[in-house]
Amino acid sequence: MNKKIVLLFLFVPLLMALPVFAADSQWVLEQSTLAYHVSHPLHQTEGMSHAARGKGVCHDGQCDFLIAVPVKSFDSGDSNRDLHMLQVTRGAQFPMVTVRTRLPETVASSATINADLEVQFAGQTADYKQVPFQLTTQGNETKISGTIPATLSDFKIDPPTLLTLPIKNEIPVRVEMTWRKQ
Amino acid sequence: MNVKEARVLNGLGILMLSIAISQPLQAQTSQPSPNNQPASTSHEKTPPSDNLPDAPSGSKTTEPSLGDLGFPSAQTQSNPEEQARLDKRTHMLKIHQRMGLITTVPLLATLLTSLNAGGKNTSTTSRNVHNALGAVTADLYFTTAYFAIRAPRIPGTQTKGPIRLHKALAWIHGPGMILTPILGIMAYDQRNRGEKVHGLAAAHAPVAIITAGAFGAALLSVSLKF
Repeated sequence: MNKKIVLLFLFVPLLMALPVFAADSQWVLEQSTLAYHVSHPLHQTEGMSHAARGKGVCHDGQCDFLIAVPVKSFDSGDSNRDLHMLQVTRGAQFPMVTVRTRLPETVASSATINADLEVQFAGQTADYKQVPFQLTTQGNETKISGTIPATLSDFKIDPPTLLTLPIKNEIPVRVEMTWRKQ
Repeated sequence: MNVKEARVLNGLGILMLSIAISQPLQAQTSQPSPNNQPASTSHEKTPPSDNLPDAPSGSKTTEPSLGDLGFPSAQTQSNPEEQARLDKRTHMLKIHQRMGLITTVPLLATLLTSLNAGGKNTSTTSRNVHNALGAVTADLYFTTAYFAIRAPRIPGTQTKGPIRLHKALAWIHGPGMILTPILGIMAYDQRNRGEKVHGLAAAHAPVAIITAGAFGAALLSVSLKF
């Protein structure tokens, strides 16, 4: 009898605490392609990176995501342009681009989401509200694609020039990511 | 109180105790919401310091931090020296670009005046004008080259893209820009002596054309996408 009481005493709190732990889940960024697009009267250029890492932590039905990518990892196929990009974006001083967002845990089952993004880049922080993304979920994997409507002025970056002609202010960033739930 | 009632009371007591114990556990793992607001709106209300990528996770907030992502610290740390090197490099290459564009003006003028400087029916004046323009072109060219050569190199950078062609063409127009004036002086002297341009000096025009062509191609290689 005493043994049973002791066991009950030990297990009931654990059993009650279980749902709390079970509600926690994590997401890990498996694969990613981030590409910025630059427009110039003489050039249309894309710089691409596959070096992003990301993590999502879910609690109480809300998930906090952090995605980070080194500025240096973007490759436009022209080393001279990449170094120039690194310079104008102050990429050595602020080597990482980070994106934070909070989403309801249930969105994984949606086909589209609108996310509020907080982007830190070039020593500046810019908020993008209701950025649409497309989702495809298969098992534990969710593929997300969309475009962040970034501009140079959002991050106080002076537009680089080629032959005295500046590039356009708009530098949309195409995002393709595969997340795995853990 | 019989034995059965005592057991039921014992059970209830344990249950109450269990609930009391489990509450702090839930409190530790729940999302912090400073103003008792729903978690979905707290993103905008979160103090900026909590949003910093380097903010430690698990202390006040459960948001992931940059440290959780496993980037090497060397990759995430600010490097002001490298930024200064990049700034200097860009500054020097901007001057290089501007000077290169300026150089094309006397270069084209030199090519145009060469029509009256060579051949049978030429005057000393046209040769002098061609000579002077050639000298200005060479001066501007070497100033342009200086800013490219002296621009700081960024360690670990692998050269790729159109800049490779731009640099390769320098091996043609660079020696060409040294040879052309030398051959030009030789040709100038021969013409002033009333001689027909001969020997090495006869290569002045072809070398100049190749040099100008390589220079133009180098300019276009970084200006146009092909």
